[in-house]
Amino acid sequence: MNNIAQNNTQKRDVLVNSTTVIETKMLCRHFGQGDTLVNALTDANLTINKGEFTTIIGPSGSGKSTLLQLIGGLDTPTSGEVLLDNKHISQMTGTELSDFRRDHIGFIFQAYNLIPVLSAKENIEYIMLLQGISAQERAKRVSAIMHDVGLEGLENRRPAQLSGGQQQRVAVARAMVSEPSIILADEPTANLDSKTGIELLDMMKTLNEEQKMTFVFSTHDPKIMERAKRIIRLEDGCIVDDECFS
Amino acid sequence: MKINNASYDENKTTGIVVRLANRSIFRNTRRTLLTVLLISCSLVAILFTDAFVRGMVSTMVKISTQTFLGEAQVHQQGFRATNDIDLYIEDTHTLFSKIAETEAIQAYAPRVISGAMTSSSDNVAAAIIYGVDSDKEAQVSKLKQAMVDGQYLSGKESEILLGQRLAELLEVSLGDRLVVTVSQAHGGDLSQALFRVSGIFSFNERNMDNGMAFINLSQAQELLSINGVHEIALRLQNLNQADDKTLLFWQALNNEKLETLAWQDLVPQLSSMLAMTEYSTLIVSTILYVLVCLGLINTMFMSIFERQTEFGILLAIGTRPKQLFIQILLEGFFIGLLSIVLGVILAFIVCYWGSITGIDYTDLEMTGLTLNEPIYLILDTMSFIKMAFATLLVTILACIYPAVHAAKLQPSFAMRKTL
Repeated sequence: MNNIAQNNTQKRDVLVNSTTVIETKMLCRHFGQGDTLVNALTDANLTINKGEFTTIIGPSGSGKSTLLQLIGGLDTPTSGEVLLDNKHISQMTGTELSDFRRDHIGFIFQAYNLIPVLSAKENIEYIMLLQGISAQERAKRVSAIMHDVGLEGLENRRPAQLSGGQQQRVAVARAMVSEPSIILADEPTANLDSKTGIELLDMMKTLNEEQKMTFVFSTHDPKIMERAKRIIRLEDGCIVDDECFS
Repeated sequence: MKINNASYDENKTTGIVVRLANRSIFRNTRRTLLTVLLISCSLVAILFTDAFVRGMVSTMVKISTQTFLGEAQVHQQGFRATNDIDLYIEDTHTLFSKIAETEAIQAYAPRVISGAMTSSSDNVAAAIIYGVDSDKEAQVSKLKQAMVDGQYLSGKESEILLGQRLAELLEVSLGDRLVVTVSQAHGGDLSQALFRVSGIFSFNERNMDNGMAFINLSQAQELLSINGVHEIALRLQNLNQADDKTLLFWQALNNEKLETLAWQDLVPQLSSMLAMTEYSTLIVSTILYVLVCLGLINTMFMSIFERQTEFGILLAIGTRPKQLFIQILLEGFFIGLLSIVLGVILAFIVCYWGSITGIDYTDLEMTGLTLNEPIYLILDTMSFIKMAFATLLVTILACIYPAVHAAKLQPSFAMRKTL
């Protein structure tokens, strides 16, 4: 096993040993000030354990995306703490945070958000390039994940040459190929037709069950809610309900 | 927190950053081409100015020195300051031998100089009379080539050459008689001689054509009652030798009796003007580089704002801010590289054309010097290399501000609409 694979395994092991992978304490995010102050998120306390398939639901403007952004270290909280693997992400430098996201978190975005100048294969490979994974290992993983997401034969197509569903498959593949511990997905099926959405969800559900990846979704989609092991409801920036299903 | 730095090798990420930068510049081809054109045209303007200034300096020095002045002159100490005809070089035989033996000196022309009153049957005019050795003068100045009518001096008695405008003023033509009155050396007695106009010259230079007349050296010496010369104009083997004061002849021809000066000291107003002219390239370059910088900063910011979401994604999925910074600089580098290739090719074509055909500024007068030949542009390889690299450097420097902006983006702000 090469160094990269070893490191990834070690990283996964650390999270397996500590069951709680995501923890937020009194998390607040306010935008604007004075009369224009908006409380996007207020005193959010949350614990997510390894391998959970969690869904955050709520109406538009309830703070779902803000919560995911704060958990992923894409935004800075006004107050409160985010702990990933019991570490405060607010204490990390910009570079450390980038490296943490690169190695531990996979993102899936509503609008696919692929890099338009890179092909499907290059988009999937990008994070592994940043991680310094060898060309041989990259090729192996890309080939496997493209097979898993049903994109074989489309490796060299640019995002503009792919359908919405195909682009979102590339985005899912990109998020998962570096074997992150946590996958954060913001309304991943919102722009997809029903059939494609279900296919992608089933694929993610399988990965969750087989590889014990932790998934956190924000969504309005009942199909995701049906598959979730846990549903967290947000209203006006506050967590109003937190239900677990066996 | 343990970050997976053990596996991280920055060199391995260079390839993807270069690939992203390279592909990104052709995302909006029209904008990239317009930016490349802006920078290229600026480079062409800078290189054209540089070549033009070099050509102009060369032409002006050539006109100044080759027309009449010479690249250096020898005088008796004090003559230049007073124009006193008593201050003439006496021991010419020894001096001429010494000059003739000097390797750095290609040719020399002895001259006798005096203010004079010239009178025709119709008019009277003041003039400077030069007594010259016709053969030697032809090797140093362009008097022979400047003849527009009649014959150049042949050494015969009573020959006189007049400037075209002086001849018009005196209302004389070839063969007409002319009386020259001078004040003799050693006492100032008036001396007169009768001449016949044997030739009319025009240097295309107002002062020279207005107030100069040439007679044979021996007759001038006789007229002024001197057995020497006032001036020896020197033509050097190489113009650059006028700058090199370490050459032995400068010391040999400068002593308590003799004063030898290079053209830069003889016409200081010209050398000052030329020194200032050389700054024009710097001024033009600075202005154009500032414009290039502003144009490029604007272009890069437009490009960055358009791709803000994409930068947000790149940061979100683990790209370090430093890598984004390098990507933007690389985009500037590629744009700069394209620009200098195009700019150097265009500049070479334009400057080469200018070096063949010349740019006609004939009859334009600058610092008392009339341009009587076109300015031929001079291409300088080192200038092309230096300016091209300076342009590339400016392009990269101009990208620092947009690159810092991109690197400082917060992913959530950059992505706005989505996660």
